[in-house]
Amino acid sequence: MSFRGWYPLALSRDIAPGTSTGTRVHGSEFVIWRDDKGGAHVWEDRCPHRGMKLSFGFVRGDHIACLYHGWQYDTAGQCRYIPAHPDLTVPKTIKVPRFSVAEAGGVIWGCFSEEDDDAPPAPKLPVAAAALRSIFADCPAPLLVERVGLLDVEGLTPDVSTIDDRILEVRLGGNTLIACVQPVADKESALHIVAMEELDAAQMKPLALWAEELRRDAESFARKAAIREIAA
Amino acid sequence: MSALTLYNYDLDENCYKVRLLLSCLGAEVGQVAVDVFPGRENLSAPMRAMSPSGTLPILKQDDFVLHEAEAILSFLARRDPDRRFLPDDPASFGRVMMWLTFSTRELDAAVHARATAMMDAPGDIEALRTAARDALRIMDDHMTRQHFEGLDYFAGPQPTIADIALFPSFALSRDYNIDHDHFPALRRWARAIRKLDGFITMPGIPDYH
Repeated sequence: MSFRGWYPLALSRDIAPGTSTGTRVHGSEFVIWRDDKGGAHVWEDRCPHRGMKLSFGFVRGDHIACLYHGWQYDTAGQCRYIPAHPDLTVPKTIKVPRFSVAEAGGVIWGCFSEEDDDAPPAPKLPVAAAALRSIFADCPAPLLVERVGLLDVEGLTPDVSTIDDRILEVRLGGNTLIACVQPVADKESALHIVAMEELDAAQMKPLALWAEELRRDAESFARKAAIREIAA
Repeated sequence: MSALTLYNYDLDENCYKVRLLLSCLGAEVGQVAVDVFPGRENLSAPMRAMSPSGTLPILKQDDFVLHEAEAILSFLARRDPDRRFLPDDPASFGRVMMWLTFSTRELDAAVHARATAMMDAPGDIEALRTAARDALRIMDDHMTRQHFEGLDYFAGPQPTIADIALFPSFALSRDYNIDHDHFPALRRWARAIRKLDGFITMPGIPDYH
């Protein structure tokens, strides 16, 4: 699967300064991390030393360090420090591939073209008032998108407008949500959901429960589809 | 009266729960190391006399013996004069007991998945991993909603023995091949646990914060 354009990867809220996580797009592994100054970074999730996932590592200031042997990389992806060889000037060739990153609408986006210069303009989204939650489901992204518009839960009936194939506007219970679609792998997907209006905890809770139910519903449909496939 | 003694195995997450609470309380008890793997010392007659099912941890003081981590956590937290990890009010107490029960029932799959992956215990690793993932999702969903209300812990604004009991299976989930990527609320909660005064790690939980 080739990459095209910008992919939503996480809610900005969920990657706090000084933290990291792994993610996948079409099965390829990436690390998302945020330095102590608030800058977000999206890299290949692989330490050049022994191939350990950098998302298992830890952020110190504006470096991310591999959990395995503590090799530290600066925000340019350049290895700056190797604890086993503290006096070594680290060769310039020890570098982690980086990708273009943007934050728009309360979501972190990555673009995986080879060169930074080739990145198309980042998604334009209004500033989100509240981050709701991400859901991660064992189902293909198109199925998850289809179920978003069909799932009624306790009087919450969604009305979906497709902004593009990775951005949905969902009117739900008098609120406007933006749901950003991440194709994680062939049979895995994620939605990163933000709200356009300020919401208090009492208003957020039923929307979060709706999202949980959406995950259950989409996975149940994916399982039934898989069974039909086997039977056919 | 002799001192309290903890029968401990460093790689057992249930023993770690007790060591973690003791450290957070600033309490010290004597420890006896039990050779679980490969020695199977936990199944010996003297150990079974204290813990009939051969599980650790065990807490002992003369004739007083407790097995089951959650009972030991409850005992130690109740014994703390400030009740820092076991609130007194009925609603909070009920929530602590609810999540403590969850940790022994739903997260049992996580404990078995890890034992199967790491210590050759028998088990259907795929089924155990699926059940463990379901439990971690319930936890992440709960903490997502707790965070809406500004609550950083499972039973409310303060850490309790429920958090201590739930923490190891999440922190060690990579041992049974479940990553942290899909549990953002649990990652935030785990960072709060790591910042507790007296926090300690166990093998498999990196010490980098």
